[in-house]
Amino acid sequence: MSNLTRGLDRLYIRPKTLDEAAVLLAGEGGQVLSGGTDFYPALGDQLPRGRVVDISGLRELRGISADAAHTRIGGLTTWSEIIGAPLPRGFDGLKSAAREVGSVQIQNRGTVAGNLCNASPAADGVPPLLALDAEVELVSRVGKRRLPLADFIVGNRKTVRRNDELLTAVLVPRRLDDAASAFLKLGARRYLVISISMVAAVVQLDGSGRVAEVHVAVGSCSVTARRLSKLERDLIGAPVSGLATRVTPEYLSPLSPIDDVRATARYRLDASLTLVQRALNYCVGNS
Amino acid sequence: MPETIEKVSIQLKVNGKSHSVSVEPRTLLVELLREHLDLTGTHVGCDTTYCGACTVLMNGAAVKSCTMFAVQADGAEITTVEGLEKDGQLHPIQRAFGDAYGLQCGYCTPGFMLSAMQLLAHNQQPSDHDIRKAIAGNTCRCTGYQNIFKAIQLAAQNMKGAR
Repeated sequence: MSNLTRGLDRLYIRPKTLDEAAVLLAGEGGQVLSGGTDFYPALGDQLPRGRVVDISGLRELRGISADAAHTRIGGLTTWSEIIGAPLPRGFDGLKSAAREVGSVQIQNRGTVAGNLCNASPAADGVPPLLALDAEVELVSRVGKRRLPLADFIVGNRKTVRRNDELLTAVLVPRRLDDAASAFLKLGARRYLVISISMVAAVVQLDGSGRVAEVHVAVGSCSVTARRLSKLERDLIGAPVSGLATRVTPEYLSPLSPIDDVRATARYRLDASLTLVQRALNYCVGNS
Repeated sequence: MPETIEKVSIQLKVNGKSHSVSVEPRTLLVELLREHLDLTGTHVGCDTTYCGACTVLMNGAAVKSCTMFAVQADGAEITTVEGLEKDGQLHPIQRAFGDAYGLQCGYCTPGFMLSAMQLLAHNQQPSDHDIRKAIAGNTCRCTGYQNIFKAIQLAAQNMKGAR
């Protein structure tokens, strides 16, 4: 009987509201589908495991808005929408990263929530959002929680999202609206490439032209993108002139790159050092 | 897996024509176009979302139809290569690909033309970088890209002249 019942279950459900989606996920659960750019390719020659819950119809998860404290990016915002949105200067780095997510076809479909939940070590969206101190909002039938993006992604394609939760929004503090920001990516060619290393930087200067706050995140050089906290602390109060020369190799110690088909670990570290220096130069050159 | 897979009813417009179809959830958009609607101008090259031969427009935006499930196109307007010509006249992009020798075997060409469609719909004077960026998600193994690039430049000029 139970087999028969299972046989009649729907394999594909497209809820219309967040509440409906939360109820579905709290019940039998299912694999969450949104833009789907990495859903079918990731299946290989397998069939989907169990039911698919397509959340692409949830209007509540679309659009970008702001209140006094945060810019709120709905989870289903596509990378093309990020590129086209009128966002403050602090988001320039995120926009640069958006232009590097796959190709135009992928940017048109792929979503911010999908990029974060997929949690690839080479996800282009992660370093710029880490550098912006972004938080993620997770919603389930039992409630809502918010946590720093840095605590959300915990490993190679691993997050702390429970199976009954949806990533509904990314929240970026308004404090960084006027900061300069940059994103640089190194790959084996110019376009449509998986990163060897990528760096996002956000720099806020004080009234006298010294560094008041700086955030630097490096991706593709550890199982998750990492902030360079010691560098960030040591650069506070530094003058703009010669800022990049203060970045020495020791500051990259939070990274643990691997040798793989794209590059050796040593090359990754060396390239990352240059990218960090360039990203900081870019930020202060424009400040 | 259940023995019988339930079908999902969807409605979509393809090249201006409305269709109501019933598809299995696992049906890819490209399969719907090619095998259910007999629109075989959209090609499958890699089947892994890399090559872009399957590019179509969904509500004006270029997407890879070999990666998307057809059920996700419910309510959408799709444009395929068959929808480019009007009243028996080739679209300026199609003419430019011919005039500038922007193809050899032609397998990838429909995808390139639809990527060019999205670009030129929003950008009448694309820079060299704009064009290269717009076709970064399309792969060609014959031409070396230079003539494809020239074809899109030519199409941009011709379309501007026609406006």
